[in-house]
Amino acid sequence: MTEILQFAILFLTPVISSLPIALAWIYKPGEEWARKLPYLSVFGLFVSLVISLNILFNFEEGFYSYPWIEDFNINFVFVVDYLSKYMGVLTALIAFLIGVYGLEYMKDDYRLGWYWFFFNTFTASMLLVVYSDNLFTLLIGWEGLGIASWGLIGHWFRDDDDITFVGEKGRKVGPLEMSWSPSFGGWRAISTIRFGDMPMLFAIAAIYALTGSLDIHAIPWEDLFVKIGLVGTVILLFLFLLGPFTKSAQLPFSEWLMTAMTGPTTVSALLHSATMVAAGTYLFMRLTWYIKPWEAHVPGLEAIYLLVLFLGLFSALYGASVALGLRERKVLLAASTMSSLGLMFASSAASFWVGEIAVIVAFWYLIVHAFAKASLFLVAGHLIHATHDRFCSGNLVFSRKMKVAFAVTIVATISLAGIPPFTAYWVKSGMDGVMEHLMEEGLSLPFYLLVLVSVIYSAFLAKFLSLNFIKGEYPHHEHTEGGGLMKLAYSAMVSMLIVLLAIILLQREEHAAHFLEEGYLKMSLYVGLLVTASYFITLYKPTSKLKIGVIFTDRMYLPFLNDFIVPKIGWGIAAIVDALNRAIDFFFHTAIPGFFDRLSIAIRSIQSGYLKSYVKIVAASIMLFLVIFSLVGW
Amino acid sequence: MTESLLMAAIIILTLGAIFSLKDHRIGFAASVVSILLAFASLTSETYFFGFFVIAIGVLNLITLFISENQIKGIDYAITAMLIFATILVIQTENFAVLIGTFVLVSVPTYILVMLSDREAKLDVGIKYITFMVFATIIFIIGAFLVVYFYKEMNPSIYIIGYVLLVLGLGLEVGIAPLHEWVPDVFSAADPIPISIIASIAKIVPFIVAFKILIATTNPVTYSITMFAAFLAVLSMFTGNIGALTSRELGRVLGYSTVANMGYILATFVAIVKPEFIYLAISGALLQLFANSAGKIGFFTAIKKEGVSAPFTYTLALSFIGIPPLMGFWSKLFITLALVYSGYVWLAVLLVINSAISVPYYIRLARELGKGWGYGIANIVGLIAVLITVITFYPPDWFVQSVKFIIETFGVAL
Amino acid sequence: MIVYLLLPIIASLLAPFLKPKKATHLISLSFLIPFFAACFELFNFTTTEIPLLSFSPPIGEFYVLIDPISSAFGLTVCMVSAMVGYYSFPYMLHRFEEMGLGENEYRKYIVIYGLYAASMLWLVYSGNFIMLYIFLEISLITSFLLIYMYGYGNRRWVGLLYFIWTNVAGVLTLIGFIVIAMDNSTLAIKGISAISMVAWLLIFVGMVIKLPGLGPHIWLPWAHAEAPTPVSALLSPLTVGLAGYILLRVYLIDPSFIQAYRNPIMIYAIISSVYAGFAVFKQMDYKRLLAYSTVSQMGYILIGLCLGTYGLIGVVIQYMSHAFGKSILFMTAGGIIASYHGLRDLRKMGGLHEQIPSISNAALLGFMNLGGILAIGMFGEFFILRGVVDVFGFEISTVPLIVAVVFIFILSGWYSFYTLKKIFYGTPKDLERPKISRYLDVPLYLIGILSIIFIFPPLITVLLNGLKAIIGGGT
Repeated sequence: MTEILQFAILFLTPVISSLPIALAWIYKPGEEWARKLPYLSVFGLFVSLVISLNILFNFEEGFYSYPWIEDFNINFVFVVDYLSKYMGVLTALIAFLIGVYGLEYMKDDYRLGWYWFFFNTFTASMLLVVYSDNLFTLLIGWEGLGIASWGLIGHWFRDDDDITFVGEKGRKVGPLEMSWSPSFGGWRAISTIRFGDMPMLFAIAAIYALTGSLDIHAIPWEDLFVKIGLVGTVILLFLFLLGPFTKSAQLPFSEWLMTAMTGPTTVSALLHSATMVAAGTYLFMRLTWYIKPWEAHVPGLEAIYLLVLFLGLFSALYGASVALGLRERKVLLAASTMSSLGLMFASSAASFWVGEIAVIVAFWYLIVHAFAKASLFLVAGHLIHATHDRFCSGNLVFSRKMKVAFAVTIVATISLAGIPPFTAYWVKSGMDGVMEHLMEEGLSLPFYLLVLVSVIYSAFLAKFLSLNFIKGEYPHHEHTEGGGLMKLAYSAMVSMLIVLLAIILLQREEHAAHFLEEGYLKMSLYVGLLVTASYFITLYKPTSKLKIGVIFTDRMYLPFLNDFIVPKIGWGIAAIVDALNRAIDFFFHTAIPGFFDRLSIAIRSIQSGYLKSYVKIVAASIMLFLVIFSLVGW
Repeated sequence: MTESLLMAAIIILTLGAIFSLKDHRIGFAASVVSILLAFASLTSETYFFGFFVIAIGVLNLITLFISENQIKGIDYAITAMLIFATILVIQTENFAVLIGTFVLVSVPTYILVMLSDREAKLDVGIKYITFMVFATIIFIIGAFLVVYFYKEMNPSIYIIGYVLLVLGLGLEVGIAPLHEWVPDVFSAADPIPISIIASIAKIVPFIVAFKILIATTNPVTYSITMFAAFLAVLSMFTGNIGALTSRELGRVLGYSTVANMGYILATFVAIVKPEFIYLAISGALLQLFANSAGKIGFFTAIKKEGVSAPFTYTLALSFIGIPPLMGFWSKLFITLALVYSGYVWLAVLLVINSAISVPYYIRLARELGKGWGYGIANIVGLIAVLITVITFYPPDWFVQSVKFIIETFGVAL
Repeated sequence: MIVYLLLPIIASLLAPFLKPKKATHLISLSFLIPFFAACFELFNFTTTEIPLLSFSPPIGEFYVLIDPISSAFGLTVCMVSAMVGYYSFPYMLHRFEEMGLGENEYRKYIVIYGLYAASMLWLVYSGNFIMLYIFLEISLITSFLLIYMYGYGNRRWVGLLYFIWTNVAGVLTLIGFIVIAMDNSTLAIKGISAISMVAWLLIFVGMVIKLPGLGPHIWLPWAHAEAPTPVSALLSPLTVGLAGYILLRVYLIDPSFIQAYRNPIMIYAIISSVYAGFAVFKQMDYKRLLAYSTVSQMGYILIGLCLGTYGLIGVVIQYMSHAFGKSILFMTAGGIIASYHGLRDLRKMGGLHEQIPSISNAALLGFMNLGGILAIGMFGEFFILRGVVDVFGFEISTVPLIVAVVFIFILSGWYSFYTLKKIFYGTPKDLERPKISRYLDVPLYLIGILSIIFIFPPLITVLLNGLKAIIGGGT
């Protein structure tokens, strides 16, 4: 029971601790005392962090449940296992650090109540997703993520500050202006996510209908797949995975992630590291963990895992290439996130052939990526504050004033790119191993794609470093004072990468040995060297005038899907519907009453007022009836 | 007992009429006393029926108070005669008496229709009387044919009789296509006398027709019933659609009468289903009462140029058939009877008609409803409303009483 | 319970003798008490009948029917009516001022309002179809009068239009009831054993007009848009959905019609819902927009009706969720109207969150309910989707159906957030920041909070267990 209580506190504290400021801001926005309330919200995040640590160290692995609707077999069931206990701490820790950063970053904002309420709800929802074993409990967290991300992306709803936009104002490609406002960003995020969430909701309902259970661990997956057959399995899992695909911005649902950069940087940092986008991959890992596709060789599963594998890899390639062409700090990082998520999907999907270890590799990559990406975003936020410019700018003169940021960026990029012997190298080596294993199954493409992605990935990370600190233009604005809390936060964040490195090197974790082993392989080393070369070349020459760059900058024209094709179809249907509505309205409310009016006038036209004509009518009708009935009878 | 009560009533009425030349209030009082005496002649089964008739009758008498006409004082007695006839018709089984009551509700209205505050409305009178005489004759011929030929199994003559009877009834009460006089007379005559014609005078013809037709039911009736249904539909549509664009309020009420008579005529299709006839008659009677109360209220409002808005709206809603007002229950029972008799299509048409009627009733209510007020017109309005809201307690009691009444329904032949 | 049900009627009759503010509190309180009573009934799984009157066949007994279904509908009606009652106070005074009427008009208004809401409350507790029909018509008349007297635009025309459409709907249903009476010689719900196809058809057509489905839906945007906002906030959330309640009751007695024509009805419902969903995007009048969204949401109810046990549970929950959400939204529309002199045109809105944050946030709660996001509607959607699998199976041939139903839910989310963006976000217009009466926003939040706590135990637990007892389902 105390465990359940702790879970409840874990989920509820962040939300409750942000209610005071939310209410304060509805009724007394901007009051001096209300600006102190964020400390309370961050304290709520801290409480969650403490509990998640307690879960990591003191809870036994297993399931904890609390009755909800027992008669329908829907209960609050929480799981503590390898995935959730680490993921929980990761989420809570990153949220807490970003919260601290936000105390300074957002202090003068005009909408603090909204910000903190949704920020904390965002965290709580993610925690719920992480620890839920019951799919319906998970759904609550899942929906919470959606709504909170909408609120946060569209946080600066006034659309009045260019710094909050994404894209270049006035730049047109065909009919589209490549510029997106915060309110638009929010709408696009929620509309894309909705597109995936509803099929997922259906898939969950279908699982519920077919098995009567909603607890991931208790669902007889293999029986289920056998029961619905190959096609059924493919349909069910495809619909289910539309949820993770949209949330994790895989092709072709990636556009929302780019325009999500209209939100405050803290939001981007949280969104891209441990919540929201990670939720998609995390859910896929969790499912895979219990479906155990490597044991249950059901034909439908192979098709789905193959789909996820390639979708992930191509999304990774797309994201990486696009990141190469982008010049906006945050959008570049956003594209890189998409790429990383693709790799996580691909690696988890490979578990069908490779086994559980593939999921563990993907999970480790998620952790490394989370800390690195959060650090980079926080730095980017600080840079935007300091230069008042969302495009990359900054040179060595500038970086001398931003030493901490510079150092953190170096550590984060190197650790994330996969340069030996830094953190991501070991994990990426594991991934190399997984993809190599696939070659034995006759799938050689994934490995080459992975290498290609890794090379490009490292290149744009170097580009980010170079254009912001080494070879960029000198910023037009400069505001480098202060920022103590921000520096503290991202330093702490990046230091976690060192901790992870230590854990791997010192083999303080059961799977570390595997990573070391993989890292020492020749093949991994070659890939590592390739990545390193790419990193340093780009560092030296961060820009290029190649035509293809423009295509990358325009995200390979994918915005046309979201902003042109789909809306055109939608508005077309809406126009037809509208025309039909007018027609129906005319028929019922103009034509029919008009008809009755005319009929009425006709009926009244008999009333001439002359007795003789009335007598004629009456006599004639009586005679008529009599004649009819006497002749015809009835 | 019954006869002596009625005799006493007639004597009081006559005396009252004479003395009313001195003071018209004496005529009023005598009329009220005499109809109460007549009421006392009723058996316990017909109390409810009598109650409504008396209520409507008294209401008619009160409205006459408003009018300053040429025969002030006598007019009460004339109206009381109509009430007598209505009370008599429910009790009698005698064919001759039935025909007598039919004439009795017809003839006094010849005088009433010409009454007015200023000069007698002769042109209206001529128009009205022409058709009434015509109607009475056709009706009586029809009644005789039906009564004497139903046993002979001479279908063609029975059918002619039935058609004549229904047409005579239609001409008397205003059923399309014989309704031409109704809108003209209703808009041209004085509102108060016409409210009497539109209310109490409509009840007897239907009861007479019912009694005769029920008594003469034979296999041919099944087929000829369609004729009544046809006229009913025609009348509903003519009345409701005609009223839609009429501007004169009297004319609107005229068309409304045409429509209402159509609804009631529709119940004739149930004559061939003896087991459900009580529903048909309950519906028809309630519809007649609801129609009467509403017409009196509205005509009085026309006369006095408006009564309280809540009254006019209630009456309008009753006409439309909104529960739990009386107009709802009457239509409910009519619809029930139609469905039971297998005329679902007729029931559906009735529903469509009640929808068509909504705009003009609401218009009537709006144009005649003038805030809150007092005065005699409002008293009339209040009583009319009370009659229509009495069915807040669902009128199962009325249906039960009708069940008893129809046991004695018939004509001794 | 009967005492609690009588409270609103008594209160409505007493209210005109009080000052507007006191009258408002009286009315709202008289609905809050039965609200708690209904919750209590729900917690106790009360299933009982309280006899009222007895009639000869074919009408049969009139009684108050209490079971978890009526408790669920009843508490919804009470909650929304109470909250909208509070909301009426500043809003209608504002409206009277606008129309040049005095404060005295409020007496008339509050009586009709109280009776309107009370009739809907009684409707859901009616144990006899005639009784049910009577309350249906009373609710029609009272709401008609409110539109006719205090509506916007061409209010008389709209009032008549509303009256005629729903009257036809009501009477067709009545004839259906009559046919039932003919077959069963009673109309008491407990006594009816069979419902013939003709009766079903008439009731179904009548209720589809009222609900409304595609085609007859055309009356709804007029009525809901031009009604005075508190009336819209009862009309759309409560009244039209009661058609679903009636169909549900009829279904529980005899599902033959729906079972026989499941596919056509399902297709019709889906088309109707999608159609209205797209129509929402084209609306430039906030209240009209909400009205179209009602049409779309009512499609869910029709869909749920075709989906067996879980679909029916979905119907009940969907009614509640829509009632909560739509009442909030209509009240936000009213808040904007009251703050900006009748502002309803979407083109003139934008960035309103700047000026009226409390209303904007309430609108978010409302749209979350419509989209089934973190509110009770989530369960509605979930059970409807489960019903699809239960009834139609999970095969390749059902994929188009699945896609269609899922798309409806997607669409509702889309138009919700599209509308939010259009009205409340984006560059603020040059408007002043009005002072909002607390009566105009607190009730919205109370409904919103209820809709959210309804997804957690114990409320959802007792609701679903109760529904299980009547409808079935569960393990």
